Amino acid sequence: MAILLMAMTPIVAQKTVHYDLYVRDTVINLTGKEKHAIAVNGQIPMPTLHFTEGDTAEIYVHNQLKEGTTLHWHGLYTPNKEDGVPYLTQLPIAPNTTHIYRFPIVQSGTHWYHSHFGLQEQIGMYGSLILDKKKSDASFRKGIDDLPSVPILLSEWTDYKPENVHRMLHNATDWFAIKKNAVQSYAEAIGAGHFGTKLGNEWKRMLAMDVSDIYYDKFLINGQPESQLSQFKAGDKIRLQVSNAGASSYFWLTYAGGKITVVANDGNDVEPVEVDRLIIGVSETYDIIVSIPAENTAYELLATPEDRTKSASIYIGQGIKQLANPMPRLQYFEGMKMMNDMMKLNGDMDDMGMSMSLQKMDMNMVMYPEMQQKDMKMGNMDMKGMDGQMNHTDHHHANASTSIKTLNYGMLKSPTKTNFDKNAPIRDLNFELTGNMNRYVWSMDNRVLSESDKILVKKGEILRITLYNNSMMRHPMHLHGQDFILLNGKGDYAPLKNVLDIMPMETDTIMFQANAEGDWFFHCHILYHMMAGMNRVFSTGPQEPNPYLPNKEKAYKKLQMESNRMHFMFENDFATNGNDGMAMLQNTRWSIGTEWRLGYYDHHGYETETHIGRYIGRMQWFMPFIGFDWRYRKDHKHGGEENLFGQTSTKDNRQLFSIGAAYTLPMLITLQGELYHDGKFRLQLMREDIPLAKRLRGAFMVNSDKEYMFGLSYIATKNLGLRAHYDSDMGAGVGLLVNY
Amino acid sequence: MALISFTACNAQIKNATTEAVIIAGNCGMCESTIEKAGNAKNAALVDWDKDTKQATLKYDVTKTKRDEILKRIALAGYDNQSFLAPDEAYAKLPACCQYDRLKKTPAKMEDTITSEPHEHNMMEHGHATEMKAEKMVEKPSSASQKSDPLASVFEQYFALKDALVGSDAKMAASHSKALNTAINAVKMSELSQETHMVWMKVMKDMAANSALIGDANDVEKQRQYFIPLSQNMYELIKVNKMKAPVYYQFCPMANDGKGANWLSKENEVKNPYYGDMMLNCGKTVETIQQQ
Repeated sequence: MAILLMAMTPIVAQKTVHYDLYVRDTVINLTGKEKHAIAVNGQIPMPTLHFTEGDTAEIYVHNQLKEGTTLHWHGLYTPNKEDGVPYLTQLPIAPNTTHIYRFPIVQSGTHWYHSHFGLQEQIGMYGSLILDKKKSDASFRKGIDDLPSVPILLSEWTDYKPENVHRMLHNATDWFAIKKNAVQSYAEAIGAGHFGTKLGNEWKRMLAMDVSDIYYDKFLINGQPESQLSQFKAGDKIRLQVSNAGASSYFWLTYAGGKITVVANDGNDVEPVEVDRLIIGVSETYDIIVSIPAENTAYELLATPEDRTKSASIYIGQGIKQLANPMPRLQYFEGMKMMNDMMKLNGDMDDMGMSMSLQKMDMNMVMYPEMQQKDMKMGNMDMKGMDGQMNHTDHHHANASTSIKTLNYGMLKSPTKTNFDKNAPIRDLNFELTGNMNRYVWSMDNRVLSESDKILVKKGEILRITLYNNSMMRHPMHLHGQDFILLNGKGDYAPLKNVLDIMPMETDTIMFQANAEGDWFFHCHILYHMMAGMNRVFSTGPQEPNPYLPNKEKAYKKLQMESNRMHFMFENDFATNGNDGMAMLQNTRWSIGTEWRLGYYDHHGYETETHIGRYIGRMQWFMPFIGFDWRYRKDHKHGGEENLFGQTSTKDNRQLFSIGAAYTLPMLITLQGELYHDGKFRLQLMREDIPLAKRLRGAFMVNSDKEYMFGLSYIATKNLGLRAHYDSDMGAGVGLLVNY
Repeated sequence: MALISFTACNAQIKNATTEAVIIAGNCGMCESTIEKAGNAKNAALVDWDKDTKQATLKYDVTKTKRDEILKRIALAGYDNQSFLAPDEAYAKLPACCQYDRLKKTPAKMEDTITSEPHEHNMMEHGHATEMKAEKMVEKPSSASQKSDPLASVFEQYFALKDALVGSDAKMAASHSKALNTAINAVKMSELSQETHMVWMKVMKDMAANSALIGDANDVEKQRQYFIPLSQNMYELIKVNKMKAPVYYQFCPMANDGKGANWLSKENEVKNPYYGDMMLNCGKTVETIQQQ
């Protein structure tokens, strides 16, 4: 009898939990306009999946889209073939087919799941994935794990197609900045008394930057800009299982009903820590506990994206709604000033010896007015005088001395030991996170995925990875398939995580034992950074063949290609004196571009210049190219003209091959030298898109053929503008500027 | 001129609906802050009255919602029927605008995780420690400090009564509309059981009569509806006494010689049924007071 019972127990525990997910194109209206989105089982976000540790998950994905898809179980320890990365762990699920994901649930905690295919995550393919502890679990925490809990899924929505967003980012669009009122033009700089700051910024060849890149129309909690949890009443404590499913937005969480108690991070328990607010990185999860302190009042949980343009709210409780204090707008020029101090002329970040790590000193803090009023005064702080005096304790102190307590990674402590055997051999790896905002290139060690092989790792090896962020943006680095520990000063109790948010100039160290077999993605979870190639693969061998991916080598090439696509850009000024325009096709390193000036009359002339070039160096300021020039102009009165070098110019009739190079000078001026096959030489200085005012751009060009141009354009809409210019060949003109 | 600009703005709000809401506030400066915060070009127009604490929201239903407007007003520092302002926003108001805020009733918390600082938290919200758990204990009846769910109903009733004493039909209508809104805003779950029973009985008639007074522009008509309204109010205040004494008064001449009652906060008689004509006609027949 006892034997029979024993034999039966595992069968009872081995419950298989089955879900059917129907993935379909849909139309959503969040802004008054109907837009394409993807719904699963008819809903956005995707349905919340619940499992208990010990269950077996069996998820049928019915792909009813016209394109492929895959689902990734973010933060879950799954067999490699169930991990859902297209061309790395499986082939995309073909349209009108069903794929079954089946894996044991061997952990608990708050996780989420999303499409890992293309940009589908941006338009609705994300959902909560909640793994409950078994009641008998030794780690079950009374007063925490038994509280009523609600999944809270943060996300954002843009009416622009994500493919177009991606393309526009690569073309250094400033349309998003206009929409966010974050252009940081010269006029705005002068108005704010920061003309010198702006000048210094351009001298260091930086475009105005924001803490986030994209303009979003709406921010959402569980798919809604505003909603209410009216099932709770005064005195209740509620555990909120928060996942940031935003494609590129960090969110601040603040609560109108008092302190927030953080009890878990990335699905792993942490010792409870009480804070006033926390920032949740893209793809991170936090379990937080809030309470309802008064009768007949609903308290606002406010999720504010880091750029603070808008927010989303959920009211907890019933009755009149107590609002949380909104976060004030960023002070961009204070941030720009600090960035100037920290950027060397060669494009490297300079932390002034402060050795920053673990989110302890938020360098964006300078842009937050409420911090400035307190004792931080970062904007006025003399960075150069600090000489590495500032150590972690000081940072801590700086945070503690302000009245607002903000969570940082240094406060996370695992309730159980997470250390590795001290005598085990350790392999060290270093990564420098690199990037170039101007061309939206994001990489590691200045290599994108298409320039990197898989990193081979022996199974069972302990890896210690040190990351240094030498770029201007923060990056949420996510490891698939396993958790790592973050060395944060908590010794044997370092917290387990699977996403590391690393701010500019920070250095952080993570460790994990490569026990999971297979190819595991390690990447920046900002969707558009990932698609720009900020990825690596850890390949733990030897590997069993993967039934879903017969030819791994070929698939990897495909994966590399996916993240280094060509981006098209086009611009034409339909002016009274002719057409002035350009078209470009670019990827991470290559640029194929054509410029044209087409007059309406023969004596105004027609000319085109085509350049095929390759960007060199991390900052991509240097681009050697080969080119072809064609021009025709009906005989000018004075015939041949001499250039500055005493050579007779062939401005009137030219069909020439050339070699040359372009270099970005301080103030973002392009210096271009070009040698034609007939021995003629041309030197040119040019700058377009000088941000004079929010919507006003200036441009100029002058070259050694004694040609010159200057112009002004006004940006009216995303694709339309007005332009007035004067050209030495074609004279004055006004026109309609169309761009794509 | 003000009228013209009002009309001009008005004309641009299409698909308009108009709603009356209660917004806290003190003075003329409050008025401009509240209206500026709530107004939205071609979408919403707010007109707040500092005497009645009532605002008329006129808005384009296709562009915005009532609570969007009220949220903006709360973020500017003004508590209203849907939202309470963040403490920080309230603190930033000029001293003359810092109206007396509603006090919250703290919840009883059990400590489960750590030693919770909630008490501290409540202090921050201005919850006095002597606040009692039983909600039906009356707070002082001065216009503002009300923890009584019916406080605003009584306040608007007294304001209406005063307007009738002054024979001001317009003011009476305005207060009566505010009374109507206050009646509809009462959360029955907050009422004691005894009060709740009476409330269920009188609420419908009170709402109807206050609406009729609000729509009437003739003070004599308003006085007609004020008779049953006062009768209901008397029944209500008997079970839900205010801390300060309230006087039940009677004028034998009113209602065509049949006599009629009203409630007043002053013992001195000021007759709402005749106004100036027979201001002091009548007597106090009962003093309603907490024991």
